[in-house]
Amino acid sequence: MLTFTKHLQLSAIVVTGLALCAHGAQAPQRIDIKQLSKTVEDVVVPLPNEIFGALNKLGAVNWKEHVRTDKGASFTERPRIALLLGTVIADGFVAVQAEDAPAVKEIGQRVLTLAKGIGVGNSITPHSKAIIEAADKRNWESVRQELDRTQNSVQQAMNEVHDEKLSQLVSLGGWLRGTEVLTSVVTKHFSADGAELLHQPDLLSYFQTRLQAMPEFNLPIIHEIQEALVDVKPLIDVGNARISPASVKKISEITTRLGNGIVTRD
Amino acid sequence: MTPFVKTLFCQVILLVMLGSFQPGAFASVDDAQSFALQAAEPYVKQGFQVREDYWGGDLGSGEKKAVRQQLFKGNEYWFWLGTEVERAKISVHIYDSDGKLAEEPDGWEKGHFAAAHVIPKATGSYFIIVSVEESPEERTHWALVYGFR
Repeated sequence: MLTFTKHLQLSAIVVTGLALCAHGAQAPQRIDIKQLSKTVEDVVVPLPNEIFGALNKLGAVNWKEHVRTDKGASFTERPRIALLLGTVIADGFVAVQAEDAPAVKEIGQRVLTLAKGIGVGNSITPHSKAIIEAADKRNWESVRQELDRTQNSVQQAMNEVHDEKLSQLVSLGGWLRGTEVLTSVVTKHFSADGAELLHQPDLLSYFQTRLQAMPEFNLPIIHEIQEALVDVKPLIDVGNARISPASVKKISEITTRLGNGIVTRD
Repeated sequence: MTPFVKTLFCQVILLVMLGSFQPGAFASVDDAQSFALQAAEPYVKQGFQVREDYWGGDLGSGEKKAVRQQLFKGNEYWFWLGTEVERAKISVHIYDSDGKLAEEPDGWEKGHFAAAHVIPKATGSYFIIVSVEESPEERTHWALVYGFR
């Protein structure tokens, strides 16, 4: 019997072979996007490290100054826990960028506590353990992978019990924290390419639509986020124009305020 | 053998036969995802981080689906499409928000695997078009995963 590793190696060889000998059919050079409107799937929300990776390529970033490990307040409201969980997972990606093992381990533990708070602790326990073990070995690639798996498992577990809205709040929390860090970095060392990473109007519209469909989550922080996204939209939805330093600073202020709101009690 | 046991035995045999003659009968998007991940495997060794999240569904022959995705300038992306239907022919292509083909020329498709490569010239929304070109099945499961570096 083939071992799993051997199977993977063989698969890799087969697929590499396929890639070498296969050629794609000619795709049309242009398509009518408007005709696709009925067949478009929802966006997959990018992970913070996808943005951080692009940011890193623009120049050295002092990630250590963005690491956050304070436990903050404890909440009982599930939407608040979901938002906080998303931001804490994003904090994990920041700590990985900073290669800060103690912070990663603390965040791994915090993720587990929060996941238990919304009833999905069981699916997170192995990931939390793996995050802590990988941080001990300073295996940052594994930590990144486990953080992605953590978010995925949390969201799958929520979707299975029809808590899709909470799952969306996890994504939103992560996106807000990622945007807070991105704008903080770009505000300090402005570059047009750095500011361009904020050009995410469809993603912002996606979150707006999702929040509008959550009237049952009648919490001040949710209303605050809804109002803030209205303010952020024109700053990033600039078409082919550039996002200005003033806009980046404004978004930084807004997302910092929201970030503080997510981690502290009303 | 009691009638109940006989009936149960026959039902089990029938299920096993169905499973043997129609391998696609119990297939799912999860199977398609396994193939998409299999296509991604060699790229992990090249430093691509493959996302856990993925899109999936089923399409009839000749049908297409568009997936909207936020991509960031500075990153490099591969999208891998897979299906468990071995004799199916599938494809994946990447367009920018204006509908212009945005992919690199090294994309490939071979039977139930396909892949497309993009190095975004601008940060923004892109459309990933997945298609089942041909398939012996009425509906063909597909799954799309992506990786970046």
